[in-house]
Amino acid sequence: MTHGRSWLTVVLVLSMLAAIPWAPATAQTRFVFANESPYDTMDPHAAFDVGRVAVRLNLYDGLYRWLDNPPKLEPWLAESHSVSPDGLTYTFTLRRGAKFHDGAEITAEDVRYSAERILALKQGAAALLATMIAPGATKAVDRHTVQFTLTKPAAIFLAVVPEVHVVNSALLKKHEKDGDWGAAWLTSNDAGSGSYMLTRYDPAVGFIGKRFAGHFMPWGATFIDEIEFRTVKEDNTRVLGMIKGDYQGTGGYLPNDQVKRLREASNVKIIEQESMRIMMFQINNQRAPLNDVHVRRAISYAFDYDGFNKEILGGSVERNPVPIPNNMWGVPRDVKGYTYNLDKAKAELAMAKPKVDRPITIGYLQGFSQTEQAATVMANGLRKVGLETKLTSEVWPAMVERMKKPETSPDLVVYWISTYYADPNNWIGEMFHSGQWGTFKASSFYKNAKVDELLDAALKSTDRKAREKAYQDAARIVVEDAAGVWVYNTKYFGPWAKNLEGVRFSPIGNGQEIRWLHYSK
Amino acid sequence: MSAVWFVVTRLTRDRSALIGLVLIALLVLSAALAPVLATHPDDVFELHPSERLAAPSGAHWLGTDRMGADVYSRLLFGARITILIGIIAVGASLAIGVPIGLVAGYHHGWLSDLLMRVSDIFLAVPQVVLAIAIAQTLGPSLPNVILALSVTYWPWFARVVYAETRALQKEIFVESTAALGASPWRLTVLHVLPNIASPIIVRASIGMGFTILTAAALGFLGLGPPPPTPEWGRTIAESREFLPDAWWYATAPGLAIFLTVMGFNLLGDGLRDVLDPRLRRSRTARDG
Repeated sequence: MTHGRSWLTVVLVLSMLAAIPWAPATAQTRFVFANESPYDTMDPHAAFDVGRVAVRLNLYDGLYRWLDNPPKLEPWLAESHSVSPDGLTYTFTLRRGAKFHDGAEITAEDVRYSAERILALKQGAAALLATMIAPGATKAVDRHTVQFTLTKPAAIFLAVVPEVHVVNSALLKKHEKDGDWGAAWLTSNDAGSGSYMLTRYDPAVGFIGKRFAGHFMPWGATFIDEIEFRTVKEDNTRVLGMIKGDYQGTGGYLPNDQVKRLREASNVKIIEQESMRIMMFQINNQRAPLNDVHVRRAISYAFDYDGFNKEILGGSVERNPVPIPNNMWGVPRDVKGYTYNLDKAKAELAMAKPKVDRPITIGYLQGFSQTEQAATVMANGLRKVGLETKLTSEVWPAMVERMKKPETSPDLVVYWISTYYADPNNWIGEMFHSGQWGTFKASSFYKNAKVDELLDAALKSTDRKAREKAYQDAARIVVEDAAGVWVYNTKYFGPWAKNLEGVRFSPIGNGQEIRWLHYSK
Repeated sequence: MSAVWFVVTRLTRDRSALIGLVLIALLVLSAALAPVLATHPDDVFELHPSERLAAPSGAHWLGTDRMGADVYSRLLFGARITILIGIIAVGASLAIGVPIGLVAGYHHGWLSDLLMRVSDIFLAVPQVVLAIAIAQTLGPSLPNVILALSVTYWPWFARVVYAETRALQKEIFVESTAALGASPWRLTVLHVLPNIASPIIVRASIGMGFTILTAAALGFLGLGPPPPTPEWGRTIAESREFLPDAWWYATAPGLAIFLTVMGFNLLGDGLRDVLDPRLRRSRTARDG
């Protein structure tokens, strides 16, 4: 009897131990991020957006990296750099001993290969880089020195350098097929050196990575062992998952009602940060009748800015009437932009030469209910001035595809332009320079020689005053032309698990670099 | 006329069928009189951001939605879409399925086999899954939902008509009509079809409920007509963000779908009791 009871005790104790919810010190820690849009590719050079930024920040490294808020450029794979007096030659000295996931050392040749690969594949950051460096203009001077020679001086070159994610050239050459730079293979594989190594990828689900202990940047005492970035299309599912503890992080731009719910949850904290992310409707400037400035102005007057910003979003955002975030330099402070004014909208329509005789298509993003609501508000305003509308939606990567050409892009598309580097060129420059057509940022397909000239001048100069003036002048013209509808600039309200420490928010990447995170005891 | 009267009187004697009939009458009435019954008929398009997510009250009987529009008024206009989808999709399924079933049932040979195997392929995949695939490929819109539902629902009619036609071929009146020299066309359309009308009507009634439910599922998944269409499934999808606080937002369209589908199912069951010759025969035997 006593014997039996002691066994029972042992079994009970064991089962209790097994049921203890917190993991022992040796167990692996895991982090799951719920992402709004799908990860359709693992290639760091194929995308230049926030929707797929986690791939680049966690699996890959660049020469420099944007960190913290306000964003600062920190040396990453490079130890330092120097610029020639004419501003054309950038020489980077690489950190010694940094390794790829397969153990190979990262050399200047890999950096050169990566830069050439981006330019050759013509995706992601290629459109932006191509304005500064030409194919073949990058040299591996020696094993640890790489040199970029620009076609013309560019004030933002250094700001964009973090986007040259370094890939393992030897590994990619092994998987190259018909001169594709290993693109087919890299779509679902890993050739990086980043803090995490890809262990599983399914375009329908997301990706999983495990910690790369050999990363050049020393790890802290505590860290996350395994990360998962999962596609969860519905706002509501993401919020419920956060509250239930299925996810430890998700995008920080949820509708206000959802943020309120998350604030009330006991295991979630909201990290609030000043950010630079403007919501806007791109207007397809090339397609009739939107190629008429009066039609575009009518559209700009037909959106209920206050109703949307203050009522529907509960005042969590700030009206931003120009294509540069209010808290960035280069904003023409005297420009008030458009207001919700149906009479003015009708007057503009009356002045328009082409009659609007077809429904205006408004594109929004599946998985981002805020874009659907913005599209509905726009449709309502347009209806009141007698314009018919048709709403159409896609997931983000599919919308990016559609926005490559004026023929396939909807008449209006609503989404955000986030921070990829902290410079006005990130917004107005990439959005309204006609050389950028084909990227999602430039889907207004705007063409104005004067604006192109101003934006070029702003890029060439290194004099901040002159650059500021050029951006202000360009912004004035673009607003006058009603090339797009700019709605708001937002703060970041990032939901994270309450016991997560070390979230390092930067407007570039929105805190999705997981190497800094760990769970509190 | 007398046949219709017979059916109606029989139906009203069956309590559950009567409930079904009343529910459907309510649905049709609210759709037809939506502009009159709605307290805020403009709210199909109109937004009032300052009044969003208001609880049910005298001004808004079923509360307001995320855009401040009246849920009750949008619900009434949503009934129109529901009926439209149901009637067109079931009608198109009938138009495709019945001729295929008749031809396959009348012919013996490769054509019959071919038609039935094709419909078997459609039946092998769950209707919702197939409809999702079609709607996703074609893009979200009302015509595409109707198309997806029609394309996936016709095999049910083809199956029923095929089986009934095959059964009738052994009947003496069919054989004698054929012996008198009636053409196959005349035989199937004028003699076979009227005699298999009952199972088709029953199937169509149940199919309405089924189709409306699938349409709501498609709308819920974002594959239905785009906003601001007051489609019920889409409204429920929108409302999830605001549950459980704005309970009225999801409850109203949810109940509407529930009652509509139940109405058609009850009516379908009642019609089967009244119309199905076998059931009727067995009842008569029992009565006798």
